[in-house]
Amino acid sequence: MAVEYPFSKVIGDMMYASHQNPITDCLQCGTCSGTCPAIEYMDFSPRKIIGMIRANLKEDVLSSNTYWSCASCYHCTVRCPAGIDIAEMMYALKRYSMWKSQFKEGLIGPDFSESFVKMIVNSGRSYEPILAATYLPKYSASAIVQEALTASGLVFSGKMNLFPKKIKRIKNLQNVVRRILPLGETS
Amino acid sequence: MKQYAYYPGCSLESLGKSYHLSTLEVAARLGIEFKELEDWNCCGATAYFPVDELLAYTLSARNLAIAEKTGLKDFVAPCSACFKNAYTTNKYLNSDPDLAEHINYALEEDNLHVAGTMQVRHLIEVFVEDIGLDAIKEKVTYPLNNLKVAPYYGCQLVRPRKGNENVENPRYFEELLSALGAEPIEFESKTRCCGGSLIVTNRAAALDMVEKLLQDAVNSHAQIIATTCPMCTVNLEVYQSQVNREFHTNYSIPIVYFTQLMGTSFGCTPKRLGINKEIIPRALEKSQVEAV
Amino acid sequence: MTNQKKLIIIDDDPDYVAGIKSILERADYSVQVAHNPKEGFQLLQSQPFDLLLLDIMMGRGAEGVAVARKIRKDPNLRNIPILIITGIREQIAFLFPGQPVHPHFVELDELVEKPIEPKLLLEKVSNLLRLSEEKKEV
Repeated sequence: MAVEYPFSKVIGDMMYASHQNPITDCLQCGTCSGTCPAIEYMDFSPRKIIGMIRANLKEDVLSSNTYWSCASCYHCTVRCPAGIDIAEMMYALKRYSMWKSQFKEGLIGPDFSESFVKMIVNSGRSYEPILAATYLPKYSASAIVQEALTASGLVFSGKMNLFPKKIKRIKNLQNVVRRILPLGETS
Repeated sequence: MKQYAYYPGCSLESLGKSYHLSTLEVAARLGIEFKELEDWNCCGATAYFPVDELLAYTLSARNLAIAEKTGLKDFVAPCSACFKNAYTTNKYLNSDPDLAEHINYALEEDNLHVAGTMQVRHLIEVFVEDIGLDAIKEKVTYPLNNLKVAPYYGCQLVRPRKGNENVENPRYFEELLSALGAEPIEFESKTRCCGGSLIVTNRAAALDMVEKLLQDAVNSHAQIIATTCPMCTVNLEVYQSQVNREFHTNYSIPIVYFTQLMGTSFGCTPKRLGINKEIIPRALEKSQVEAV
Repeated sequence: MTNQKKLIIIDDDPDYVAGIKSILERADYSVQVAHNPKEGFQLLQSQPFDLLLLDIMMGRGAEGVAVARKIRKDPNLRNIPILIITGIREQIAFLFPGQPVHPHFVELDELVEKPIEPKLLLEKVSNLLRLSEEKKEV
């Protein structure tokens, strides 16, 4: 017999360092949903997602766009009467979905996060993420043109440098990173 | 002269250059010195946490460790996302010894050690709390009379909650603006999100959020929106024209950093405040002329 | 059976764990499970085990690495063989494509990637147990 370990616990475990978030304490009051500025763009509202986690609907939760639509504004977190750190919960879901490679098709979020991390580990700095074209080729041509125009306008107006600087001790930083996550040798 | 360890963050090196310039200019006028950390790295922004939260803490911890080496007490970040990341990292370093041990093991690779002893502050807190409104008022030579400013706090400056502060209706930004002679409007949306990195990952959602903010500011008769974060500025300023296209609106509301307003009221030249670098041009000078 | 080997799995994916657990149990191992590193470490301290099967990406990040370090520093636990079972190459792949896992990040005994063939899993487990027995005799 498989040991029953509910999804609410799996996700709760991912947040234990921040708070012992009692996802199961949710009252289903809907304050989070009423607060969320991105709710219109979510497959399921934050309240519903919490309900689904508690109902162990792991697949449905992971295949929704809800948690990837979270802007991390923490408005739900500070208002939740049950003290659930909902924004952190959305981060936990993002991580879990990345690690298990289980997320809704066509989302930009996972690709963006990957490119962003790659950029930091390679240079120590991040480049204006909105204009970092690394993640764009997979998406529409018009989007690329649009971003390129915006970017060149910004470069010419002196608002933006063309390339990010590398930090001096980048090799050390990469070794620091490598002690936390066992990476291969960098090129 | 009071000194602070200053962590500009990546945005202030490119799109937020005017924030950087105006911060240093205003600090000089107020007799404080921001000492930039040597060889700092990116804080991980909001995009690192979905991949690996431990690594995100480690990135911020390296900056905190570098700051601790200076012997200064305060770690100051002008970007709200950098501020939030450094703040939470510092908090967990103090409350979770296992995390601190593991991160310090990693930091050995850069001959660093983090103790979690810095006071992590946002730039605006330093001005309001340490310098104080009275001292700021004394420096004002060109009061921003009748300039109606929307004080936009955004998200990560005020949230998540850090103590017992009022996260629903903070007032210090309004008070600072009043000290400059400006007229802060009652801005209902002042702590609503600008969309953050959704501008990349979910453009439609972010533009909608930006539009709501612009609409509220205009309906509340703001002439200008002042921000405390380079990401908020990018979303409100750079994407304003795209909002106009998508929503068939014609917003043309200038977005400035609060430090640019401070500098202007102190009589600093626009150039030294990076005012010529705005996307929606001449806005501040224009409103200044109107104000005078 | 008195010489039945006791295994412990620390992994945050209950469905995956259920699968490996039944494979190992059918091969007559005694298997206990912890779904997060904290409970896993407590379980390890509470009774002796012959082998640890450990996931890497758990909780906030690569907490499997942190737990492995902790085990290697603990005088009572440091000799337990650790078999890493992970999908971590997916993580590595996007950072530094085509590079092998850094060999010296933590003292582990063997690393296999998810998904794993039952036959290979059993082979690795019995190999590690045999090696560990030999070490004890020396």
